[in-house]
Amino acid sequence: MRFTFRKGIHPKECKDLTRDAAFETLPVPDKVYIPLSQHIGAPCTPAVEKGDAVKVGTLIGLANGKVSANVHSSVSGVVEGFEMRVNAQGRKIKHIVIAGDGKDETAFLEPLSDPTPAQIIQRVKDCGIVGMGGATFPTHVKLETGAPIKALIINGSECEPYITTDDRMMRDLTAGVLDGIELIRIALGAPKVLIGIESNKPEAIAAMRAGVRAANTEICALKTKYPQGGEKQLIYALTREKVPNGGLPSDVGYIVLNISTAYAIYEAVRLGKPCYARYMTVSGKGINRPANLYVRIGTPLTDVVAYLGGAKEYSKAVSGGPMMGIGMAGLDSVTAKGTSALLLLQEDEIRAVEPTPCINCARCARVCPIGLMPMMTDALILAGKIEEAKKYYPLSCIECGCCAYVCPAKRPLVQSQRLAKKLIREREAGGQK
Amino acid sequence: MSGKLIVSSSPHVGSKLTTQTIMLHVIIALAFPLVAGVVLYGLYSLLVVLLSVIAAVLAEMLFNLIRKKPQTVSDLSAVVTGMILGLNLPPTIPLYVPVVGSIFAIMIVKMLFGGLGKNFANPAATARVFLLLSWAGPMTRFIAPVDYAALGGKAFLTGLGVDAVTTATPLGAIKNAGLQGIALSDVNLLDLFLGRIGGSIGEVCALAILLGGIYLIVMKIIDFKIPLIYLAASAISALIFYKSGWTYVLPTLLSGGLLFAAFYMLTDYASSPDTFWGTVIYAAGAGLMTVIIRRYGGYNEGASIAILLMNMLTPLLDKITVPRPFGYRKPARAKKEGSK
Repeated sequence: MRFTFRKGIHPKECKDLTRDAAFETLPVPDKVYIPLSQHIGAPCTPAVEKGDAVKVGTLIGLANGKVSANVHSSVSGVVEGFEMRVNAQGRKIKHIVIAGDGKDETAFLEPLSDPTPAQIIQRVKDCGIVGMGGATFPTHVKLETGAPIKALIINGSECEPYITTDDRMMRDLTAGVLDGIELIRIALGAPKVLIGIESNKPEAIAAMRAGVRAANTEICALKTKYPQGGEKQLIYALTREKVPNGGLPSDVGYIVLNISTAYAIYEAVRLGKPCYARYMTVSGKGINRPANLYVRIGTPLTDVVAYLGGAKEYSKAVSGGPMMGIGMAGLDSVTAKGTSALLLLQEDEIRAVEPTPCINCARCARVCPIGLMPMMTDALILAGKIEEAKKYYPLSCIECGCCAYVCPAKRPLVQSQRLAKKLIREREAGGQK
Repeated sequence: MSGKLIVSSSPHVGSKLTTQTIMLHVIIALAFPLVAGVVLYGLYSLLVVLLSVIAAVLAEMLFNLIRKKPQTVSDLSAVVTGMILGLNLPPTIPLYVPVVGSIFAIMIVKMLFGGLGKNFANPAATARVFLLLSWAGPMTRFIAPVDYAALGGKAFLTGLGVDAVTTATPLGAIKNAGLQGIALSDVNLLDLFLGRIGGSIGEVCALAILLGGIYLIVMKIIDFKIPLIYLAASAISALIFYKSGWTYVLPTLLSGGLLFAAFYMLTDYASSPDTFWGTVIYAAGAGLMTVIIRRYGGYNEGASIAILLMNMLTPLLDKITVPRPFGYRKPARAKKEGSK
């Protein structure tokens, strides 16, 4: 049986560039710039001062409030100070600059061999683990849900084109990934685990099936279709249950985490290793040597590109996948917890940016996995008709990009949905004054 | 490092399909009935379609010039409109008629309402009805296909120099039989299928239309639901309204502009609904209206008028069939507060 959801698209996969490349460890950079905000939620409070000596794993930024996550040093050395730098999203935020001493001394936490649920959640919190697929929502907040959980769902679909990080992790780091998944299951007290993997990753499915020990863990081959990894689509594919519009997966008794996050939890619990590095894919026709890398957080993207033999001519730099990632103005930012990929795309790989008039072909509506009518929101919001645009449910949009992908008129449909969301929320906030 | 980078909203990749390619596919599909029409009725019909296309393109260029707007003819949609209108005309039509029709279709129906994608009705269908009302005689004068055996090499010049034989169309026969309430007989279905009958240039050869239509469906240019539901609804309506069993069903589907409308005109993006249920109602309603007009109306042919009628309903259909988003749950009804 093939599990899937309704509608969606089949973008060009482009995973062949890196799917056979084993992980390489990027040399530890001389200097790292660690952003104090690498997650959704409040930025961290610095826990070190200029001149402090730190080791790999030393806590340098304290979580600020409930929805926030700790930040740790990724090198051993001396704190040089603070600097305002742009992040991948193009915002200027505070970074801690640390000059490495080359010794790479570590300061890890105590490994736990037989942890209780509370210990696991505490460890996830201490180690600053966030959703490593790119959403960067602090993971401990998800684990602390009070709702009864029917099943833990692990997202191994990796439906974004180009990215092969999770694929390689499932193939090369199988035992750790599965152990991490089991730890999350224990933390949640979930009776079973469903792992969804798109069928374009047969090696990963085979490796996971061969490695799985827990009896209540099922590995399901999903149909290869975008956005198979969207939370709502994944839950529907595996369980036929629909997350209520505007609700959370926990409303129907599920928690979704991805492969990289599970592995980070394994490292945090079993090795006491805080979240100071991550696995990522660097790909696109613009990079000289596409690869899968293990990088320290805070590594300048220019270092990453230089390690891979530099770049050719390219016209777009994307942090994350090509469907939902962020187009950057340059390589001025650093790797962060959510940097699942860096793509340097050439002219012929990217979508045209000059929009032409909508021809009303309804292709966008036919592929929208949420069942929206993006062309209506686009036309209405650009005409300033906020109230009318609201009737087409822009707030339900998951910004997967299917509509804009298929649009023959090359209209920026996702951007219009975002604009509609913003304007509607502003209006509603204004109304409450 | 490269020079300047493009910074734009996600997604960063997209399909290669453009408006222009879509129109190109439609032109290729329209070439099937065009070739059939020229073979059947001679070179004059090619001239009709050609003039119609040229007039449509020039009308759009002129409109953009007058309005000081950027040129839009490169999207090829004017070519498509011109071709469809030309194929909708009888093969002996005076040459000024397609020119007037194209100018009307492009300037009045398409450009005045905002151009491509904004037209409230199918430009070609509207122009056809406009021409029918303006030149009722020439618009309903049909000729028999050229007789290659009798005319030899001169056959292709039919309409240009050689006089054609006017003929009644199967639609007339259907109309008369329907009015008398008798079963339909003496209809050669093979002639209908191959187009060896009188009719509009592009509408007679069912085989060519089907080939073009299948091409459009295979290339994913049109939604197969529209022709399918339209044909099914027409067949069922024929069964019901002629009260003569199956005798009317196939002749109804194969005669007049019904098949051509199913694949090329009803499927016009701008004037057909965007929602699933809207599309179903639209196509079914068009089928019903086509047969009702043919059976009870004053005209022999009802396809273009039925299309226009359903075009007018499209905005309403779209509005009342907006789909609920995934996981939608009815909001709990708010309790009445106070007595306002």
